[in-house]
Amino acid sequence: MQSGFAVKATRVAIVVALFAIWEILSRTGIVNPRLLPSASDTLATLGDLLQRASVRKDLVVTASEVATAFALAVPVGALIGFLIAENRYFADVAKPLLFFAFSIPKSIFLPMFILVFGVGFSQKVGFGFFSTIFIVIMSTTTAVESVKVEHLTVARSYGATPVQTAFRVYLPSMLPVLLEALRISMIFNLTGVILAEMYASRDGIGHQIATWGENFQMKQLLAGVVMIAAIAIAFNELVRWVETRCSHWRT
Amino acid sequence: MQPLANITPLKPAGAIEVRNVGQVFKTTTQDVVALENVSLDVKPGRFVVLVGPSGCGKSTLLMMMAGLRQQTSGTITISGAPIPEPDPNRVGVVFQEASLFPWLTAEENVEFPLALRGVTKSDRRARAQDALKLVGLDGFGKRHPHELSGGMKQRVSIARGLVQDPPVLLMDEPFAALDEQTRMTMGDELLRIWAATGKTVVFVTHSLTEAVYLADEVIVMSPRPGRIVDHLQVSLPRPRTYEMLSGDAFGSLRDRIWRHIRKSA
Repeated sequence: MQSGFAVKATRVAIVVALFAIWEILSRTGIVNPRLLPSASDTLATLGDLLQRASVRKDLVVTASEVATAFALAVPVGALIGFLIAENRYFADVAKPLLFFAFSIPKSIFLPMFILVFGVGFSQKVGFGFFSTIFIVIMSTTTAVESVKVEHLTVARSYGATPVQTAFRVYLPSMLPVLLEALRISMIFNLTGVILAEMYASRDGIGHQIATWGENFQMKQLLAGVVMIAAIAIAFNELVRWVETRCSHWRT
Repeated sequence: MQPLANITPLKPAGAIEVRNVGQVFKTTTQDVVALENVSLDVKPGRFVVLVGPSGCGKSTLLMMMAGLRQQTSGTITISGAPIPEPDPNRVGVVFQEASLFPWLTAEENVEFPLALRGVTKSDRRARAQDALKLVGLDGFGKRHPHELSGGMKQRVSIARGLVQDPPVLLMDEPFAALDEQTRMTMGDELLRIWAATGKTVVFVTHSLTEAVYLADEVIVMSPRPGRIVDHLQVSLPRPRTYEMLSGDAFGSLRDRIWRHIRKSA
């Protein structure tokens, strides 16, 4: 337990030290404070921003886009991934194609999304969906393949119905991999939506960050960066926490 | 050969009849004959061991008795009826290592077959407790498989196979992954459980010593196409003891099996 505590303490110390270096670089003028406002100023600005109705509205817009894209991409991707994993022919045909698609940087398609959907909610959701679905498909395929044949045989030998096999063998076997997939998908999803907002948008936190950058409002820009980072880390840690609770049996 | 006192005459279940069974695997290039014209009678309450070199189809035969696989020709009956699909009320199966569900505790693993039938939670728990007690794992029910040793895991597997009280227990190399000492102990444990429950046991193994030590009868099989080449009655008295391993009777039985296997290797 003590070593665990020591590791955590060191971790906190590193984060504090980074903020301290940031503060010192800015305060002493080693880096021009107009380019790099101090950590304390940035955090103060972040507090201000969170009070503003417009920023809150932007956050709500972004959150709803992210949630919609995620809610569409995960079930659709999971279904496709499942079909691919369960069907040998499908798998042989689709797997290399998926790898091709996955290797292409998604950002080059952004102008096309704007042309098709116009600037707005559906453009961002569409692009978020597009950025996420390939990783969901591939992770689901991996998850299905992680189900052990021995376990399926055991279920069959005790007369499990297909539904019982799905819920009592497939689901628990796949859960750790699926949660990990969910976590990584969210990273792709968030990146996709914010990128779409920064590229062409009228609202959303990504749009705000892009605007602050263009107007040389460094305090607001950095505050926005810290805010998005904190949200992303919080979601990631939440899923990781669920993950460890569900996969304690994994060794 | 000795009668088993604890078989109730009212329940003549547990007989296995294998008649002219063949199995052909079709591959893209050729048909592989895995089993050819196998016939075998197992009387209720007997301990029968199938031995033979790799690829002789002994596991395939066992899977067909379990209803997990269908023969290409011939018939198999368990307790007088064919077995077109797995029937846990007639047959319990104990697999090789790593067949326990790692996300369930030992008792939840044992309860699994009952949970599939919709047995109530309290009833399930009680029967799992009994089964775990029978295999000598009283008090280990709350552990997960990764917290158990190899031998304990196989005890849980045996408890899972017995929890529905089927008359037949099929065991597919259950101790193959265990170290020698654990294997000997588990052999004695299995004989104790068998004597206490009176099940018909069909046991597949690679180990000649294990075969002779455990069995009433040893069936020796040849490699592809799998056939029965010998059927030995092991008349060593029970309970079997470690000292018998070095006796003449034991040695000559093991030699006889070995000569068959060497010929085909």
